[in-house]
This record gives sequence, structure tokens and C-alpha cells, in this order.
Amino acid sequence: MTAPTARRVEPSVEVPISVTVNGEAVEAVVPARQLLADFLREELRLTGTHVGCEQGICGACTINLDGEPVRSCIMLAAQVDGSAITTVEGLSSEGLSPLQQAFKDNHGLQCGFCTPGFLMTLSTVDPEEYPGEEGIREAISGNLCRCTGYGGILQAVRTAWNRPQDG
Amino acid sequence: MTDTWELGGRPVYTGAHVTRRQDDALLSGRGTYVADLRPSGMAEMAVVRSPVAHGRITAVRTAEAAAVDGVIEVITAADLTDVAPYPNFAAYTQTPGTFPLAQDKVRYAGSPVAVVLAENRYIAEDAAELVEVDYTELPAVTSLEAALEPDSPRLFEDWSNNRLLDLQPDDSEVAAILAGNRVLRRRYKMGRHTAMPMETRAALAEVHNGRLHLWCTNQHAHIARTTLSYVLPLAERDIRVVIPYVGGGFGLKQHLYPEDVLVSWLALRHGRPVRFVEDRAEHMIAAAHARDHMIDIEAAIADDGRILAMRVQVVQDLGSAEIFPGAWCPALTTAAHMTGPYDIRDCVVSVAAVTTNKTPGGSYRGFGVPEAVFALERFIDEIADEVGVDRLDLRRSMLLQPADLPYTTASGALLDSGSFAESFERVVELGEHAYQRADAQYRSDPDSRVGVGYAVLFEGVSPTHHGASAHWMGHESCTIEVQPDGGVRVASGVTDQGQGTTTFVATLTADALGVPIETVRVELADSDATPYGLGAFGSRQAVIGGGAILLAAAEVQGKVKKIAAHMLEAPTDDLVIEAGRVHVAGSPVRAVTMADIATTAVIRTIDLPPGMEPGLEATARYEPELMEHTPDEKGRINANAAYANAAHAAVIRVDLGTGEIEILDYILAHDCGTVINPPIVDGQIWGGIAQGLGGTLYEDLCFNDLGQPQTAFMDYLVPSAIEIPDLVIEHFESPSPNTPLGMKGVGEGGTVGPAAAIGNALAQALAEFSPQIHETPLSPAVVRAMIPDQRT
Repeated sequence: MTAPTARRVEPSVEVPISVTVNGEAVEAVVPARQLLADFLREELRLTGTHVGCEQGICGACTINLDGEPVRSCIMLAAQVDGSAITTVEGLSSEGLSPLQQAFKDNHGLQCGFCTPGFLMTLSTVDPEEYPGEEGIREAISGNLCRCTGYGGILQAVRTAWNRPQDG
Repeated sequence: MTDTWELGGRPVYTGAHVTRRQDDALLSGRGTYVADLRPSGMAEMAVVRSPVAHGRITAVRTAEAAAVDGVIEVITAADLTDVAPYPNFAAYTQTPGTFPLAQDKVRYAGSPVAVVLAENRYIAEDAAELVEVDYTELPAVTSLEAALEPDSPRLFEDWSNNRLLDLQPDDSEVAAILAGNRVLRRRYKMGRHTAMPMETRAALAEVHNGRLHLWCTNQHAHIARTTLSYVLPLAERDIRVVIPYVGGGFGLKQHLYPEDVLVSWLALRHGRPVRFVEDRAEHMIAAAHARDHMIDIEAAIADDGRILAMRVQVVQDLGSAEIFPGAWCPALTTAAHMTGPYDIRDCVVSVAAVTTNKTPGGSYRGFGVPEAVFALERFIDEIADEVGVDRLDLRRSMLLQPADLPYTTASGALLDSGSFAESFERVVELGEHAYQRADAQYRSDPDSRVGVGYAVLFEGVSPTHHGASAHWMGHESCTIEVQPDGGVRVASGVTDQGQGTTTFVATLTADALGVPIETVRVELADSDATPYGLGAFGSRQAVIGGGAILLAAAEVQGKVKKIAAHMLEAPTDDLVIEAGRVHVAGSPVRAVTMADIATTAVIRTIDLPPGMEPGLEATARYEPELMEHTPDEKGRINANAAYANAAHAAVIRVDLGTGEIEILDYILAHDCGTVINPPIVDGQIWGGIAQGLGGTLYEDLCFNDLGQPQTAFMDYLVPSAIEIPDLVIEHFESPSPNTPLGMKGVGEGGTVGPAAAIGNALAQALAEFSPQIHETPLSPAVVRAMIPDQRT
């Protein structure tokens, strides 16, 4: 058996973008094929956005893009021209936000790799759209955590959303 | 060695909810993982992997890839002329002769064949696609049953079969008992899982002042350093291994993988930093798989169902076995746990670990114990059904009672303490109550069946490393230094993959010295900064690392008291150490601070007691006395420093239409001896149960007959928050008389029980259909097939 027929590699085209990241204006020329996660991590050195799968499954790379939770591993940097982005580094300018503090107080993290994704998802959703205990689970169902079994995370969200546990 | 383990100070922090040290950094995105490092001048590596499961390499053409702009070099095994194969120290196994890149053959799809080094990962991946490899394909061995066949194709031509390990102990005594009694036989299998940490593997190598610095995700800084010195042409003193923040290990990161060697070799060759960050698609086929066991039990059964004797055969599918340390030890661990916490005096286990053309198996949380517990606990329920006795009473008739302890199992494990019967009864009480509730709720629903299942287990924790490596044993190390300002630096060989190691090291150090925890700085996982230790495996770090901390602290504290006694002109026996001050008992104002004492010890040494050496630090190593490293002539071994225990209950609802299992209640009573940090212990249990449930219900790594992996990340269903129920966790504390502070490890206990508890619950729920429940995963399709299409 022979490896698949090789294809020629063409040089990348570059694209200029203007984007606001954590409140700061950024002008950049990015390779057209550069993933948004790589732009944030490698160019802006905002390494709090973690890449867990590059397939849009695990949710670790979730960022806030114009108010929506977005997976930065399956989006190109070139697509965010004109947008405003918040990453985990921008969640709080001083100390921990109430949500971050709730994670800390409730043992809502262990290795911390998935944590920025959970925080960014939760910081962009409206709790009222996710009522009850099942709502909390649904809100975070697109983020995978392999350490906690979600117990501490659920408790953190209940605390942050001021929502007593059912039963 | 101390006769009694004590904290030197009042336990201010031990047992309390001490918040974790890393959380502020991790919550604000400032935790630095390997992939976050990017030294200037860094190049990146991509691996060309075999698409063929079993084949001979006949040609590798790299010229086209090497010509791509931005490519620095393309290498194959032929370039690694100064690299040695990974060693094998286990004389009782055959040797795979693992090399970082495939030499003449590939033995699994995903095997590294060539490496492209380029200016960045994008270019490296582009060029990797241009590397052409010719293979002559060979028939693939894709199951452990096939590997056991006498005429099976062999992965290693210089072996006479595919059995890397084949231990057949004398079974004549058990055979005699079997011959005279009713015998029951069953076969159980557990599917192929993987740890799937959210952070994939990563490594970054750099040459600094003529030394190799490797930042990596490995669980052991020193074992990694030593192993690199075996494989690379480098003295160990010229290697520094640093493990920064790690995004979960769970055993998968115990192995020193080819990529760790390759980044190091390339950094040395090119004199520039080289980084490898595995992507998830690679992780699915190139990071360690686990489980994939088959267990045959034959047991002699008394009239009341009690097991009189057992003959067991454990077979583990190792995949290609090209991994270091080797992966056969889970099968040995399964064997050591086959009697469970029951009084079964006669049990003989043969063990085979076979090679197949699949991703190398390796370590994963549970490490052979979930397999044993699933088989034995299902077997006991099946005996109860067969004999017509109550499954709970059958357990009660065999469970170890407090009066039985200490008890040495048939495999040689010394159960010195535990709450086997008590934890079981508590879980039965809660489980039956939950079942009644579920039954009342769903009794009238024709499409639902509910069931409750139990599992009761012990689990060896803090093991010797010898079973896995036949090289390293079981000690851990600690250096404690009090600096002139009274602050404390503690350095240990233990490592932190997110389980909270750093926090427990600070906790025990502060309490053992009697200083505020804020004054303790913890240094771990840097082979230059820490004494030689064995790091993270087998739920050992609190127990063994804790012992080393207590020993080092006792030595430092002894000196603290002598200096303070001299300064205060009081006898040492009258001194009390508290919150970083030493005062005379009953006279709190007659005091000196830790800073006063340390300044005297290190700077104003003229004020030391006559003849005392300057300095205020100690390095200690702890190796548990009762831990054995090699088995006796009958194969018995007490391979662990301690044994935790647990009882699980699962109440489930089965949807008869879809076969889906819904977990209504999950109850666990756990006993890990003395608890240092309750939230961390609970977090370990929750996370462990989630992984156990994942493997029981959803996760499975499949291969087709060609050895092609069939499971992408999308199909490997790691449970989300929807799938994991709220847990009821009850704590029992049976301190071990033989471990520091009575601690036992907690890292794996949750993972061990779910397969058995769910399997037994399913058997009860579907009892009317007489389901055959002998394998995991119990996916909806598998469960649905147990239910007749036409129900009456």
C-alpha cells in the first residue's frame, strides 16, 4: 500500500483583520487558514483559551464572540474581522468574577484545562433561558470535563445563579 | 523510620477544606500548560503515522516533504543512529524492543514512522502529508482471542507466540477442590477504554547551557529523566525534566512516549526549541488505550452458594505493546483483586498478556481493578440466581468482618483495616430505599424496568512500581528547607495533574512543622529542584509522598526545637510549636519565631547551640516497610502500601424500547482511611465514578478486522453533565495502622465499581428476559438486544 497521492502545498493567502479582544483593539494580518484559537494563543499569547480537540466537540476553546459562545478551534481568525471577543483572560479585570469565585469555592475544577471553556460558555448564556436543575446541566452539556464528574461544576453554577438544588 | 506517624503541630489544615493553590491562576487563564510555552526560535514537529495496522515498511520517501518551504528536516528511524530502544527489565516477559520510530515493521495504525520538523505546526502537517511510505501489508491480529490462537500471525517474529506475558501457576490444590464440588463457570469481558484527559500529550525540548530541558505532560519527572538517559546518548545529569500544569493524566501520561524522545533528539540536533502538541485525532490512536480484558472464572460452589475455591484466567489485550513502561501490569493487578473483600482462601489465577495490532495499551485509572470487580461481582449475582439464594445474603456470608482483620488474601494482599461489611450494609440500606422509590414510580410504566445493583470491593493503593517496570520500586522523597525569613520551601517527587497534589503537600507540611500554610512554598515536578521520587501512579501520592513529608518535617522540627530551647533557655519537652512560633508551654510570651530560629540556623550561626551544624533543612525518603516488590514462590505478593474499600449501589431505569439505561440513583460508601482534604476526596470520587460510568455505558474503542481504528473522538462518548447523575457519597474512615496518619489512596476508587453495580442492576431490571450480562459497554444497542422484540 502506498500513502495517498500527495497534493501540492500552495502558499497561504493573508487576510487583514480588525478585532476587539478583551476590550483592546487589535489590527493583524493573519494567514487565511489560521484557526481563531491559534491566533489567540500563538499571536496574541492569550493561552487561557485551550485547545482540547480541534473538532468542536470538547468545548475547551470556547470564547465569547459578540455575545455568543463560539468554539475558536473550528473558526478561522479571518472570520472575526469587525467582531468583539472576550477570552477567559478578559472575564475579570481584578480578582475573580462571582462565577470564577463560585468555581473556586465549590471545587468546580481539578486540572483546569476545560475550565476556561465552561466559564466562557456560562458567561455568555442567560440563566433564565436554562431554568431548573436540568437547565444548568443543559447549559454546560456542550463542555466536557474529565476530572470532576461535574459535581463541583454544577454546585458552582447553582451558587453563581443563586439556584437551590432540587429535592 | 518512625514507629508512630504524627503531625508535629496541631492539625490546623489536615482534614479541613483548604482551598486549592492553583485555582486563581487556572480560573483566570494563567495556568501554563506545555502547549502554552513558546520560547523564541521554536520549531514544531508533526508525526507521520502508519495507516496500516500490520505491515513491513519497504520504502520511505521524504525528499518532497523536506523541500517544502519552512521544513527544517524530515527524519525516520534510520536517522536515529545514536538512540537505543526502550529497555525492558522484566525477565518474565518477552521484549518488544520498542523504538521511537518504526524500524522495519509497523504493528498498529498510528505507529510513528517519520517526523517532520518545521517552522510551525501548519507547515509540519502539510509536509507530513507528502511523506510517502510503502508497506507490505501483513494479516492483522485484532482480538485477544485471535492472538491466543496457536497459528495466529505474530507481531514479533522472534517470539514463538503473541504472549508477552504468560504466567501459569500450579493449580493442583484448587483443581482438587473443583473436582469434588459443584462448579460454575463464566467468562467476562471489559471493553477497550482510554483515559481521554482533556489536555492531549505535549512536549517541548530545549537545549540550555549544554543541557536538555524537557517540558512535558508526563506524570513522573525523575522516571522520565532516567528513561531519557537510557534511550538518548545523554548523561542523566545533563537532562532536566519539568512538568508544568497538566490537564489530567489518569495514568495515560505515565508512559514516556516516542514523541518525548523525538522532540528531545531534534532539539539536541538543531540547537533550537522543539515542540510537539498532539492533536485529538492522534490521541485516539497513539496515546495509551486500556482495559480490554477477558476473565474466565471457574468456582467450586457450596450448597448455599459460597465460593469454596476459584480458578481464574485473566487475559489482557496489550495492543502492540510498544510502550514504556510496559502495559501488562493491569492484568497482574486484576489477578490480585479476584477474591474481592471476601473470605475465599483458595484462588489461583493464571495471567496472559497478548499482543495485537492495535494501539498499545497502557495505564488508566483503575488499572485492572474494574475488570476484576466487574467479573467477580457479576459472578456472585449469577451464583445467587443459579443456586437460588439472596445475592445480598450470599455476599454477607463471605464478606470480611471486622474480626477477620488483618486478613491476607489468597493473592497475598494484607488487608490491615477497612469497613467492608459496614460500608456494604450502609449502601444496601440506601440502595433498597432508592429502589423502592424507583419501583413505585415506574411500576405502572410498561416500557420501563427498574433495578438495583451492588458492588463491594477493595482496591490496592500506593503500589510498588515494580509490577509495571520491574525496575523502580515504591519510595517517595521530600526536602523541607526553612529559609532565614521563616518561610518554608518544600520540594517533593510527587506531581500534580490536577488532583490537588500541591495543596496536600502544603497542607501536610504546614501541619507537620506547625507553620501557617501561607508561608509554605511547594515545588514539584522539576527534576532539578526536587529529590528523586516516583511521582503519580496508583493512588500513592498522599500516602507515600505524605510519609516523606512527615519524616522530613520531623527532622527539621527536631532541630527547630533544639535551637528554640537554646534561645529560650527552656527544655525542648516544654516547647510548643504553633503558627510559626515556638513558645514555652503555659507561657505564650516566651517565644521565638520561625524566622528567629532560621536566621540563627542559617545566618547568625554563632548563636546556635554549641556543636550544632548550621542549616535548617532535611531530605527524607519513605518506602513502606510492608510493601513487597516481587512475589513469593507461590505468586503471592503484598504489592501495595494500603487497601481502600468501597461499596457501590446503582438504581437504574431501562427503557425497553430503546435499551437506554438511565441512572436514577448512584450511591457510594467509600473508605480511604484518614482524609486530608474532604472536597478534594469528594472530587476524586465524583470524577472516578464519571469515568467508570463512561466506560460502562458509552465508551468503547473499536477496530475492524484489518486493525483499523473505528472510533473517532465524536464516537468515544465521554459523559457530559447530562449523563452523570447526582451522587450520594458516604464516608467511612478506617485508618490503616501501617501508613502515615492512616491514609489510603483515593484516586481510583470511584472508577472501580460502576461496571459491576450497573451490570447487576441491569440483570435485576431485565430478570424476566434472563439477560446474559458478561461484557461492557452496556450501550443501548447491547441492552436492546437483551429484550425480546415481542414482549408479552
